Amino acid sequence: MDKRFETPSSPFTHCGASTQRIMLDVIIALLPATAAAIVIFGAPALVPVLSCVIAAVVSEFLFNAITHRKQSIGDLSAVVTGLLLGLNLSTNVPVWQCVLGSVFAIVFVKCLFGGLGHNFANPAITARVFMLVSFSQVMGGAMPKGVDLVTSATPLEVLSTGGEGLPSLLDMFLGVRGGAVGETCVIALLLGFAYLVLRRVIRWYVPAIFVGSVFVLYFVTTGSAVTALYEIMAGGLFLGAIFMATDYQTSPINDKGKAFFALGCGILTFVIREYCAYPEGVSLSILVMNILAPMIEKWTAATPLGLGGPKNAK
Amino acid sequence: MAFRKRLQSVHVPHHKNTAGMKAETLPPPKEVLLPMNMHMGTPAVPVVGVGDYVRVGQKLARGEGSITCEVHATVSGTVVSLDPMPDLFGNDLPVIRIESDGKMEADPTLAPRTAEDLAAFVEDLHESGIVGLGGAAFPVDWKFDAAQRNTVKTMLINGAECEPYVTSDDRMMLDHGEDIRRGIEILKKYVKPENFVFAIENNKPNAIAAMKELFADDPAVSVVTLESSYPQGAKQMILYNALGKVVYAGQRFATLGVIIINVSTLAKVARFMDTGMPLVDRVVTIDGSAVREPKNLLVPIGTPYRCLVEAAGGLKCEPGRVVNGGPMMGHAVPSLDYPVLKTTSSVLVFSEADSVIHEPSPCIHCGRCVSHCPMNLNPTAFSDDLEEENADKRALLLDRDHVNFCIECGSCSYVCPAHRPLAENNRAAKKYLKKYKADHAEGGKK
Repeated sequence: MDKRFETPSSPFTHCGASTQRIMLDVIIALLPATAAAIVIFGAPALVPVLSCVIAAVVSEFLFNAITHRKQSIGDLSAVVTGLLLGLNLSTNVPVWQCVLGSVFAIVFVKCLFGGLGHNFANPAITARVFMLVSFSQVMGGAMPKGVDLVTSATPLEVLSTGGEGLPSLLDMFLGVRGGAVGETCVIALLLGFAYLVLRRVIRWYVPAIFVGSVFVLYFVTTGSAVTALYEIMAGGLFLGAIFMATDYQTSPINDKGKAFFALGCGILTFVIREYCAYPEGVSLSILVMNILAPMIEKWTAATPLGLGGPKNAK
Repeated sequence: MAFRKRLQSVHVPHHKNTAGMKAETLPPPKEVLLPMNMHMGTPAVPVVGVGDYVRVGQKLARGEGSITCEVHATVSGTVVSLDPMPDLFGNDLPVIRIESDGKMEADPTLAPRTAEDLAAFVEDLHESGIVGLGGAAFPVDWKFDAAQRNTVKTMLINGAECEPYVTSDDRMMLDHGEDIRRGIEILKKYVKPENFVFAIENNKPNAIAAMKELFADDPAVSVVTLESSYPQGAKQMILYNALGKVVYAGQRFATLGVIIINVSTLAKVARFMDTGMPLVDRVVTIDGSAVREPKNLLVPIGTPYRCLVEAAGGLKCEPGRVVNGGPMMGHAVPSLDYPVLKTTSSVLVFSEADSVIHEPSPCIHCGRCVSHCPMNLNPTAFSDDLEEENADKRALLLDRDHVNFCIECGSCSYVCPAHRPLAENNRAAKKYLKKYKADHAEGGKK
């Protein structure tokens, strides 16, 4: 008997998907929004984006090195976290705060819980909420370049204080309005959405239910489709619904659970925007739902095929 | 029933490279190796000794105990050894080695079977050595034994063949229609079901056409075209997709009035009843990235893989993995000296490049395993449960998450982007739970 072959367990074939490729797909899907940020806000938009990405990767690298863990920056998840956080900040935020937020996301929310796949909440969202609480004076939106407005209020702030001086619906759709650099351009975010759905990275109905439920709640309570349209395009709803509510680790693992998770996000966003002190509810609602995700997963778990008895025996 | 909820499944590339190739008959090998556990259930017990001259079809080992099956000589020649071969099979069971004289002389005592009724038919089948050739290896006499206690309404003939590469059932339907027709006649005589349903995946249009033509005049036989999706041929899936039925926990297929039989198994039953020749050969697909000329071969059971590889033009590169069966549910074997078993539908030899085992990375909770599991399970849960240190709690968690519903199809491992060994863990978990329950039941009685 000559050559001995290894005898691992089947299957002996694989679909070819990898964690790294999924993360790369998310990065690719965020590129239109990043490009739009630079077009709308100019070069300053690069400051939060780059500082967050670099800080995220470096802090994960250093954490792994110091704690003698296996190096994990190759899976690109730190880049995704940094990029998402950066796009969630405005040009008003100083570099040191961006870096601090990014380090908080990676070290405290992700690495200390065991790294990729072990965090209970979305690192970028948690860092954003952390920064919102810590540096609330600068977390409001900065204005696009060339837009000369007396007030520096974002559309959400305008909406919550009466609605005087709102940008047009088309400007809202194109993203020519105040806000975090990556959240304003709806069309760019939708491009990323289409890409992620085509690549089967995310489920189409998660953002659809999230955005749709916010739209329906505003339409029902105000009776105005225009107001509802403003509300869904304002703030970070599309960015949050497409890229953060679809985060694997912090949303239910099963399809039905994902749908309920998205619905919860939508309802909470409406409630926070309408009835709470904060004008923006997307981050907080996703964070709350992150915590509820394991319970939703449990409640919505599918029944194994053949469990139970014949219900409609003839 | 117009609308039926779709079962979850995976789309795996078919690689049916040998679909157009009629099986060639392999010349008699120099030696065959026949292990005693080529079937599910209790191993067979040898009835021959070293030095005995045996002829094709002669009984070598008798079935004893529950769900057991006989073993027959597949070549004519001399028994040279009964020693166990742990390096190949990893157990202490005897392996009957026959040195072939190259004559392939048939046992002269074999004669067509003339069973009068179902009970006699089952008795006869016990001497056929036939097991479910699709992979389950369930002895056919035990399969039809259930018909004595239940009214069989439908015989479901499984021609799905959802495993990639394998085309042996496809070729059976194309090349041995007469055996299949005889098989249906025999079942009509003994089992007397109301109807017969052939269920075939739509990537075998020729086989579907052949079966439709063969039974065009028979109103009791229908052909259902199934979507090509993995694991379509698994019994729960084919029962649902072909007949719209679900077998619930605690039920048996026969209590639903259904018996499922693989199309090749059916043909072998017909051949046995008509000639008396037990299961001594089968069609095997030889394929894989290291094989020069993939093809279908009719080979004596027990033939070492080496002979099949030679007949397929040899290897074109250094092999890294040898698989008995399909790539999704087959078994990796340690050597090309491993023999064709009764259930070996294919022998796959992969290049070293295609045999790389990826290092698993952390689960990212993407849910692909969950949304592809045909049984609606959560494979990540079983892996987590296995890490529970308390033995009682581990069993409790596994039971709660319904690990026993897992059919070990391997879809979860196939789709996992983190290359986690989910299917392997599922098997380990089922094994653990089975042992735990057995131990627990014993302790309870004391």
